[in-house]
Amino acid sequence: MKPEKDLKSILENLEYRDDAQVQKQLVDQSIDLKIRMGRIKRKIVVMSGKGGVGKSMTTANLALAFARAGHKVGVLDVDLNGPCIPKMLGVQGRFEITEEGAIPPVGPYGMKIASMEFLLKQEDTPVQWKGPMELSPVWLGLMEMNVIREFLADIIWGELDYLLIDLPPGAAADKPPVIAGFIPELDGAVVVSTPSEVTKAVVKKSIHYARGAGIPMLGLIENMSGAICPECSTTVTLYEGGCTDICAEMDLPLLGKIPFDQKLANACDRGNPLDTEHPISKNFSDIASHLHDFLESKKY
Amino acid sequence: MKFVCMKCESFMSFNNVQTPGEQSLGVTFTCPTCEMQVAMVTNAGETAMVKSLGVQLGGRTAPATPMELTRSSLKETPEIAETEAAPSATAQQALLKAETEKTEQGEGGGCPFSSMVAQMGGMGTGETEKTAPATVSWSEAAESRLEGVPSFMRPMIKMGVESYAQKNGISAITPEVMDASKNDPGDIRWSKGAEARLENIPSFVRPMAKKEIERIAKERGETEITDKMMEESKEKFMGMGY
Repeated sequence: MKPEKDLKSILENLEYRDDAQVQKQLVDQSIDLKIRMGRIKRKIVVMSGKGGVGKSMTTANLALAFARAGHKVGVLDVDLNGPCIPKMLGVQGRFEITEEGAIPPVGPYGMKIASMEFLLKQEDTPVQWKGPMELSPVWLGLMEMNVIREFLADIIWGELDYLLIDLPPGAAADKPPVIAGFIPELDGAVVVSTPSEVTKAVVKKSIHYARGAGIPMLGLIENMSGAICPECSTTVTLYEGGCTDICAEMDLPLLGKIPFDQKLANACDRGNPLDTEHPISKNFSDIASHLHDFLESKKY
Repeated sequence: MKFVCMKCESFMSFNNVQTPGEQSLGVTFTCPTCEMQVAMVTNAGETAMVKSLGVQLGGRTAPATPMELTRSSLKETPEIAETEAAPSATAQQALLKAETEKTEQGEGGGCPFSSMVAQMGGMGTGETEKTAPATVSWSEAAESRLEGVPSFMRPMIKMGVESYAQKNGISAITPEVMDASKNDPGDIRWSKGAEARLENIPSFVRPMAKKEIERIAKERGETEITDKMMEESKEKFMGMGY
């Protein structure tokens, strides 16, 4: 039997040519992303450790508030498996694929909206990937990461003042670091919580997690802060206490309180934005104005 | 990732990517010296992992289309998105032209689909027809030998033999012509100094050494074999006398 050849010495005599250029492909991807994001002044994520607290409602209404103030706004729905921004903003449509990128559907006030919803066959089609989902959660994580990259890099966002990114619930804990990795210049996160003790306990974890990933915290919005009676318009308490304690503990400004309101719920369900005179619209306008002033004051 | 032919001590050349089964990729390689072929077959998990990176196996020859990973990975997509997903006719022509040019330049290793595009025979561009003179005919024996070559290699080999025949004014391709074309250095020239050094190599190993040096030159994209290159290859052929 012939002695085995030594691969190391064979390779020493060969000139390696990188045909696949995987590294270059990955660098090209990040350059595309940087160019696209470079045209957007402010990028804000809306997050929470808990599901069902009103992240998407907050994102949609905050986007409306920025747009009403005259800013150019884009909304990215990163809740890949449960997209609801299009429905809340009353936007239907598809991406238009061009050589320069994907043109997103346009919502109220000219807002550019991107969501998985625009890529699904019909309203009740779930997001299902071709691939061995049961075999590899690692693969699924990689896949979702690159889908988010495509949403950021391949969509023609154009010149925007604000891009609001609606993150999925806390269980998908990989998303904040993914976003922070793609957008290192991220301006920060708006955290949504309810006054529920259970919610606050989970939200605290997500704040620690996001800070650990290098995401600055812009403040917290207390949602379901009481409920407005549809009959007499008086506010009734839903949860004892509020979010002042968690804000103090986590050193976070309380950006505003949004009560549970039937009109707001209907507006979200029907995709008809609340009118500008509604008290909750005013709440969001105040929050947007506060955020804008704060971010402008941070200019350096 | 590279495959090395341990027998010839050279990198194998990338041929193409096939899909031998659902959620499986077959990547084929050929040793440029001994023409031995190997195929690497991935399982479903490996296939998905590669795809999820959003990179193209073998390298890109055309820019990615917007949101291509997302759109191509969803199980169910709306018809409108699928229609829009297809590159425009102009883009397809440009891609095909780039691929054909690359194949003609002997750079088939760049893209997993280059050999598939070569198999399409320059469809719509007329590029392939240009290299195959109408007067060249194939003898039955030569055709039968060509049939023995794996299908994905066939167009490239056919093109190479016909190009050699055209260059040398040969109108009938026989198995002998095929052999001769195999040893044709193509556009690679030998400097006088390099030729002189080649003559110093014992005759029984000279053809092998010549072929190997030409292969190295091709790999480096060189068109002339110089003294310097001979010097660099010396270690490999140490003791052969040059």
